[in-house]
Amino acid sequence: MAKTYQYCVATNWGKGFIDHVESQRITFKGLPGDVWQVPAYNKHGNLWIAKVGGVVKTVAEAQAIVDAEVQTAQAAWDALPDAEKAPALEMNTRPTDITLEE
Amino acid sequence: MAEYKGIHGTKVQDYTTDPDNPITGQVWYNETANTLKVEAATGAGAWATGGNLTTGRQGLAGAGSQTAALGFGGYTPPGPSGYTGKTESYNGTSWTEVNDLNQIRVFLAGAGTQTAALAFGGFSHPPSTNRAETESWNGSSWTELADLNAGRREIGGNGTQTAALAYGGAPPGTTAQTESWNGSSWTEVNDLNTARTSVVGSGIQTATLAYGGATPTVTAVTESWNGTSWTEVNDLNTARRDIASSIGTSNTSALAAGGTTGSITAVTEEYNGTSWVEVADLATARTNSGAAGTASAGLVFGGSNTTATEEWTGAGAPVIRTITTD
Repeated sequence: MAKTYQYCVATNWGKGFIDHVESQRITFKGLPGDVWQVPAYNKHGNLWIAKVGGVVKTVAEAQAIVDAEVQTAQAAWDALPDAEKAPALEMNTRPTDITLEE
Repeated sequence: MAEYKGIHGTKVQDYTTDPDNPITGQVWYNETANTLKVEAATGAGAWATGGNLTTGRQGLAGAGSQTAALGFGGYTPPGPSGYTGKTESYNGTSWTEVNDLNQIRVFLAGAGTQTAALAFGGFSHPPSTNRAETESWNGSSWTELADLNAGRREIGGNGTQTAALAYGGAPPGTTAQTESWNGSSWTEVNDLNTARTSVVGSGIQTATLAYGGATPTVTAVTESWNGTSWTEVNDLNTARRDIASSIGTSNTSALAAGGTTGSITAVTEEYNGTSWVEVADLATARTNSGAAGTASAGLVFGGSNTTATEEWTGAGAPVIRTITTD
C-alpha cells in the first residue's frame, strides 16, 4: 500500500523553519522528539525536508522516537506525588501515547 | 506584451536583502539568494513558524501583536517548581526574557500591548490558590493594582491595559461571572449565559467574543458581548477548551487555534462576524498556549510544554514568494 506520509527528524530553529508558502502547499504535523510528518511522494515535502536538513525516518523509526519521548514524560508524571498529580489542574494529565500513520 | 516597467514605472530592482515594506505586486531580485521574488497576496490563510520561546510552558497569557508581543506566566510540568512568573517579549523574530510577574501563576488572562499590558486572575500551587491579583506592565516591569472581585483560574480576558474584560473561570466548578476594568478597579457586570471554565475570547472591553471552554464538558458555545450583555451566537465547529488565548480585535473577528477536545488538537477556526469557518491547522497541536494579534495576523506561542511559536497570516494578506520557472 502506498504511503500517505513520510517522517523526518529536524530541530525547529524558529523563524523560517516552516514559512507561509510551504504551509500553504503541504500539511505539516509536529510530533514529540523533533519528528515531523509531511506528505509522502510530494515535491514540496521533499524540498522542505532538504531545506531543514531533516533526517528521513521510516514509520517504525519515527514511532520509536515519539514513543521514547512520550514514555519519558509519562515516567516523570508517574513519579509525582499524588498531591501534585491533581491539584485541580486540568493541564496536569498524564501524557498520552501517539500512534503514527503510514 | 506589457512589461514590468510599463506597469510599475520602474525596472525590477536588485537588493541584497528583501525590502522591508514591499507593496503587493512588487517584484525584485535578491542578489544574495540569486532569486527573483514577488510580494503576493495569499490565497488562503496559513501558519508559519516564528521564534521559539526561551522557556516552553503552558497556561501562559499573551498581549500585543504578531510582531510585538508579550507572553507571561505559565507552568512547565512536572511538579510544583514548574509554576512561573516568567515574562518574554517578542520582536517578530525572537523572544527575549524580561522582568517576571510579581505573582507566579498559570491559567491567567492578559490584555493590552507589548509595552502596556495587563495580567489578571490565574492559579498558583502549592498551596492551590485561585489568584485575584491584577498586574500592569509598563514596558519594563510589573506593578500590582486592584484585585479582581473574585479570584479565579482558567479565566477569559481581553481588552487594553485601562479597559479590559474578565469572564468565566473556575472558582472551582464553573462561573459565568464577568468583570469590567476601568484602569483602577474591577466592577461586576452581566454574567455569561453559559457558565464555563477554560474559556477564551478576543476583542475589546465593549465588543468581545467568548468561545469554547468546559461546563465542565467541552463546549462549542460562543457568546458576543456588546458592552452591556452577552448574546449567544453561532457555535464553534469543534467543541473544545483551552484554546489559544485571545486572537482578534472585536466581537466580529477572531481566531480560535488549538485546544483540547479530550485530546490535544491543531484545529483552527476563524470567526467572520456570523459563523466559524475551519481554516488551516497549526503545525504543532497544542493546548493552553499564549496568543496575541489579530484574526489576519495572529501569533500562538507555547502551550503543551512546547517552545514553538506559530504566526498566522490570513487570506489575502501579503507574503513574499520566490518566482520559479519549473
